[in-house]
Amino acid sequence: MTDLSVRLGPLRLEHPLINCSGTMELFELAKAFGPRFVEHPPVAAYVPKTVTLQPRLGNPPPRILETAAGLINAIGLPGPGLEVFVGEELPRLLALPCPVIVSVGGFSREEYVALAGGLKDALDVALPAEWTCRMGLELNISCPNVRSGCASIGADARETEGVVAAVRATWPGLLVAKLTPNVTDMTEIGRAAEAAGADALAAVNTYKGLVIDRRTLRPYLGNVTGGLSGPAIKPLALRAVYELYEAVALPIVGMGGVETADDVLEFMACGATVVAVGSCGFKDPCLAWHSSRELAIALSDRDLTVSDVVGWAHREV
Amino acid sequence: MSKRADEGPRFLGRVVTDERLGGMVRLTVEIPGWPGSGPGQFALLQSEPSRCFLSRALSVSDERGERVVFLIAPVGDGTRELCGLQMGDPIRVLGPLGNAFDVDALVKSPGRAVIVAGGAGVAPFPLLLSRMAARYREVFPAPAGEQPGSPEAAGPEVLVLLGFRDSLQFEASAPLRQTAASMGRAGLRCRLEIAVEDGSHGPAEKVTDLLQRHLQPGDRVAVCGPSAMSTAVWRVCSAVSDVQTWFSLETNMACGVGSCHGCVIMLADGTQGRVCREGPVFRGETVFASERVLAGEEVAGD
Repeated sequence: MTDLSVRLGPLRLEHPLINCSGTMELFELAKAFGPRFVEHPPVAAYVPKTVTLQPRLGNPPPRILETAAGLINAIGLPGPGLEVFVGEELPRLLALPCPVIVSVGGFSREEYVALAGGLKDALDVALPAEWTCRMGLELNISCPNVRSGCASIGADARETEGVVAAVRATWPGLLVAKLTPNVTDMTEIGRAAEAAGADALAAVNTYKGLVIDRRTLRPYLGNVTGGLSGPAIKPLALRAVYELYEAVALPIVGMGGVETADDVLEFMACGATVVAVGSCGFKDPCLAWHSSRELAIALSDRDLTVSDVVGWAHREV
Repeated sequence: MSKRADEGPRFLGRVVTDERLGGMVRLTVEIPGWPGSGPGQFALLQSEPSRCFLSRALSVSDERGERVVFLIAPVGDGTRELCGLQMGDPIRVLGPLGNAFDVDALVKSPGRAVIVAGGAGVAPFPLLLSRMAARYREVFPAPAGEQPGSPEAAGPEVLVLLGFRDSLQFEASAPLRQTAASMGRAGLRCRLEIAVEDGSHGPAEKVTDLLQRHLQPGDRVAVCGPSAMSTAVWRVCSAVSDVQTWFSLETNMACGVGSCHGCVIMLADGTQGRVCREGPVFRGETVFASERVLAGEEVAGD
């Protein structure tokens, strides 16, 4: 079998396919379909739903609507907050057989630092000296569905640099900055994250959009605006990864409408080392695994390795 | 070694029969590997191939082994596509998902079991009735010498109240009416009352009018229908003492398993519940707060 393993900072991934935060809850899948989802996760690294410092209810319903070739959502980062996450979620995450990249979202620089510090303290106790090869951190500075912080930080290069640098000072493990595409120039934000010490970039979070309720002709979503995902955004996301690859030296986690191994190859050719499955995985919770198997076949058919294909689209022929 | 996740929980089924019924379509799907469902559980269905990005959540209406029945009303792009499926067509199925009606609470309670269904909300009840009959026979076996099918052996009466907009929609209830009629043989007597709003079957009235007339203290009520009907049913039930209610609710869903938090509804205590995970069957008091009902606010999505 083709070796598909990749490195993302200190993490070793068995294959390049992971999930986008907020689109896959392994423990819910295990409840619905059996423990095989936690014994043999379909992803090479697991990214749980974004953790916030305080408990949050999230946005009022309705929160989702199907669109042409995609899905718009305005979930709004509901969750129990850091304390419950550390107490109840972290122990079972540490028992998973794959690395975990914890996504955190804050409303100020201080909140991101508190989230990273709280996690680090818990990990230092749970797994002293060895956790950095098991646990990474993703800074969600790009959620379009909360009113302050988060995406407003990720839309500003100086704010991004400030948050990444402050977290870098407390967090010794893998540090990923997840970027919003809702800016004039993503490469400026990517360079700021790189300069501040990020180990990798994730691109893209959802595209801010709006849907109208056809009966009332008013905004459909409880939050008015939402984030668009799915195959509808794939060419936009490919462009983002392509331009970031030219702008920074960091590895890139590419995402946006990934549905097949061909999509994975396209993201890798644009420059993604790791590729994440998001809303396309709603149809099939094992999509990441299936795509990794198909990727192995596609690479061996072309007589290529994973490292050959990353950035292929940039090379002169 | 346990089964690996890569074998996947999503089934590839095949349509065995497609019946056009009262503007809806009743699909019987052969699903190799289907593990069996509880009454009230749902599955995410998608044509293969499909023009839609997401699957659609549909209640399991009935099942016999790997033959699973779904009753589908064409309300949007996805359900219209599913309604166009014909015998032999492939279909993707993720399920069974969500919780189920509490069969024991309906069968073992000293109170009478009442089923209230409106329109396409008849869908989950053929399966519920047959599971209630099976459970009744387990809990209360027929005394020696009595034939399970004899009138003397028949168990308690289940009141089945159905409401429809018009005579066309009424036709979609034929399978449920047949199931209800056959339950006597299985040990459960069903008393069926039907209200059709256009007056084509008796007086023009609503299912809540039937419920007003028949509801007694102590009744155990299982409900599925449009959100306005559910709210009205709750209003009737909450006015009678010691009535317990279970509502099967419907919203737009994406993942169906509790991952995405897209299908939440507001609960009576101000928190939110995922219809796919904490539901689709909710206790009435969990969903409906009295002040919200008085304000006439709809709490379930269309």
